[in-house]
Amino acid sequence: MTRRAREELGVRISLRTVRIAFALGGALLAVALIFAIGAAARANEPLAVASPPQTAVQQGAAERDVERAYEQATEQVRKVRALNLAITATQADQIAGKAFADLRALRHSAFVSLGQILGMAAAEADAYSTATEGRFDQAPLAKQTAAASPVLLAPRFYSVASRMSELATLIADQATTQLTAPPSQTSAPPTAQPSPSPTVRPSGTPSASPSRP
Amino acid sequence: MRRRAALWVLPLVLLGALLGAALDPQALPFVGSERITAVFLLDGQAYFGHLEDVPWSGTIVLRDVYYLNDASKVTTDLPVGLVKRGGELHQPADVMYIRRDKVLAIERVTLGSPVGQAIATQRALDRSAK
Repeated sequence: MTRRAREELGVRISLRTVRIAFALGGALLAVALIFAIGAAARANEPLAVASPPQTAVQQGAAERDVERAYEQATEQVRKVRALNLAITATQADQIAGKAFADLRALRHSAFVSLGQILGMAAAEADAYSTATEGRFDQAPLAKQTAAASPVLLAPRFYSVASRMSELATLIADQATTQLTAPPSQTSAPPTAQPSPSPTVRPSGTPSASPSRP
Repeated sequence: MRRRAALWVLPLVLLGALLGAALDPQALPFVGSERITAVFLLDGQAYFGHLEDVPWSGTIVLRDVYYLNDASKVTTDLPVGLVKRGGELHQPADVMYIRRDKVLAIERVTLGSPVGQAIATQRALDRSAK
């Protein structure tokens, strides 16, 4: 549109208005550019991923944590069983035996969960669990003198370790309650005792909520 | 003409010098390795994640958030456990807005630290699970 045509139409745009429009356009473009760079930077941000040796260190720590929970709970039941109890020896053996079996099943489930977290198939995780159990049965943590350096577990490993610890304590405490109960209260059916099941076995799904450390 | 050009260039140079002095080169986008930040709140809670801190906003933003949980009753090596935010009952989305006036300190997490290594392992496990 020529100047003459603009004048005929009665439209006059001052140079100042044009400059302001350009400045606003430039500012908008700059803001859009900043957001675009931010989005691109976020999308392409490098992420640190642990190497296999680092993951192995965490795996070893998680295995120790599971085993420690198992050994502590087993030791608690064993110590209570060794006391002079009010119930008969047969009843005490039955209760202790059930607790030991539950704890072994719980430990097996925990190691299977660790195997699955590491990406193993079900059969492979089961074999890994059996092998790990055998290793710890031959060399329990309580008899190991060399202490490994403390490891802060990855959340997936931590959820298994914390669930294992929680359930092992529960089984040991319930067995302790039953072993130390008066004779009349020990005739409860064995089904009242806790037993590991797929619903309570340690899993890799975190369920904790924030709390002050 | 030269004086006019100098009037344009001088503020730009000053601005560049100011930004250069204030900015951490490692904090620039597309530079360096992953940046995990620890945000310590006034109530004692600490959160770890990727920080977005825009000066004109009243909140800071954390993504890919982790926090420490009390593990004194758990048989782990340390009395704390690292938990990834997202598994709570309300299953929060992977972004957390924190009021700026509730922040006590913001620090960079070293990737070789226990927290950095635990987060890196979590990523490796997430990838192996896929």
